[in-house]
Amino acid sequence: MPVLTIESLRKDYGRIQALKGVSFSVPKGCVFGILGPNGSGKTTLLGVISDILKPTAGSYKLFDEEPADHHRRQIGTFLETPNFYHYLSAVQNLTISAAIKQRGEDDIEKVLETVNLAQRKNSRFSTYSLGMKQRLAIASCLLGSPDVLVLDEPTNGLDPVGIAETRELIKKLAQQGKTIIMASHLLDEVEKVCTHVAILKKGELVTTGKVDEILANEDIVEVGAADLGRLQQAARQLHGYSSMKQSESILQFYYPLGTANLENVNRFFFEQNIVLNHLQLKKKSLESKFFELTN
Amino acid sequence: MIQLLKIEWLKLKNYAAFIVLSLFFILGILGSNYAVFYLKKNFIDQADPTKMIASSSPYDFTYTWQTTSYVSGFLLVLPGLLMILLVTNEFSFRTHRQNIIDGWSRKNFIDVKIVMAVIAALISTVLVFITAMLFGFASGSSFSLLGIENIGYFFLKAISFNMLALLFAVLVRRTGFAIGLFFIYLGFENIIWAILQGLSMKFKIEYGFDIGYMGNYLPLNASDGLLHFPKNAVVDMAKNSSKMPHDYMYVSLALALAYLVIFYAWSRNRIIKTDL
Repeated sequence: MPVLTIESLRKDYGRIQALKGVSFSVPKGCVFGILGPNGSGKTTLLGVISDILKPTAGSYKLFDEEPADHHRRQIGTFLETPNFYHYLSAVQNLTISAAIKQRGEDDIEKVLETVNLAQRKNSRFSTYSLGMKQRLAIASCLLGSPDVLVLDEPTNGLDPVGIAETRELIKKLAQQGKTIIMASHLLDEVEKVCTHVAILKKGELVTTGKVDEILANEDIVEVGAADLGRLQQAARQLHGYSSMKQSESILQFYYPLGTANLENVNRFFFEQNIVLNHLQLKKKSLESKFFELTN
Repeated sequence: MIQLLKIEWLKLKNYAAFIVLSLFFILGILGSNYAVFYLKKNFIDQADPTKMIASSSPYDFTYTWQTTSYVSGFLLVLPGLLMILLVTNEFSFRTHRQNIIDGWSRKNFIDVKIVMAVIAALISTVLVFITAMLFGFASGSSFSLLGIENIGYFFLKAISFNMLALLFAVLVRRTGFAIGLFFIYLGFENIIWAILQGLSMKFKIEYGFDIGYMGNYLPLNASDGLLHFPKNAVVDMAKNSSKMPHDYMYVSLALALAYLVIFYAWSRNRIIKTDL
């Protein structure tokens, strides 16, 4: 059963189209990254499924049902900024959140421990640093131990220790079988934490699927020869690569990371009586993959 | 709704401005009524003995309901201010979003605020009722419920103030801006009110055309127009000529209720239908 299904979701802000008909679904038990550069529509998408933004067109389902208030109570959501009453303490703020979520107050202490805020639990929210506010927002998501968490840029504004702790926490929650939907503009973060990903670009879905399939690191071997036809024919006998692409007068062979061997490629074609006039190994970085996907 | 109100109370009880404004309001009502009570007794009546014959204290029973309601009406900006703060706080802390994200419906969010506006009006009214009784007994008259409808008019005025404040807060969202606009609107409506009152008299006197006091058909003056300072019988006799426009109280009352419906529907619609 999918936790979230989005169908042709569109959201316009006046003339600006923030989402241009996005569809995908989030299976239960995965860590689902929504990846995209700033302004790609990630937060808008999460805003729509949290019912704080009204979609222009399209629909979404939560737990395979028409969305209702009780669904949101089962989802711990942290959207964009930590939103709390500035004049209240962490405990007072979480008491309000717990009451709205219709959860007991007994795990307030526990979630504050989890995010290392127990010592400052009675200080007013307005006295917190940005990182502490962020951690309180994550604590609020954990109230009542919901099965689904929606986190929008959860490590934004945290120091390196905080970032590492938060990522560890997300992994730990995932191991407990929770479904986590996480928006991020950091490819590295998605790669480290997520099992599935949807990539957004200017309000459009570029691709979606498993992280290891989409963000696979590959070696690319480029070859060229005077007779491209013969080169292509011969390439069918070449082993070890996972896919092949033709771009203009050269062929690109994609190999799993670290398995391409130029000598072998060169020898293979030479034995087929083809003399290469171009042979190059390209290492593909995650960043270039990201640019390729989003540009 | 009880559950929603409990949550609203959690937001309110530790809010310093709530405590300060409530104190100001209570002291303001007691103080302003005492000031009128004292001035009338010790200065006006002694300076003008004819008035002493013509009228007793405005805080004597039957009058006290009207006087206290009228005098206290000026302090209703305070609960109005509190309403604005409560709602714009949600916008500036973005907790209006978080409340929805955490599982309230948009209707829950706005409905509990509307109920808060009604409760604040009710508490204000109870306070005025007690104050009216206090001063009624203090003036040495015997208890009577005659004129108690004025307490009802005060309640209507209090709700109108709170609901208009709520509407301003929902539409404007920013605290300072909403408060500023609310006060500017109060001033503006009173200027229009004065012009319309003048026009109404002119229509009546010059053209014999009586449509009542038009100033009392404005959003806040509709409920306000129901409350007057008790008229001095002598002055009243002199003034009460058929030359003046008729005071169509039922029109004011109906309009006050109609405006309330507009404030209610507009603020509710705004929260339910638009992006937060």
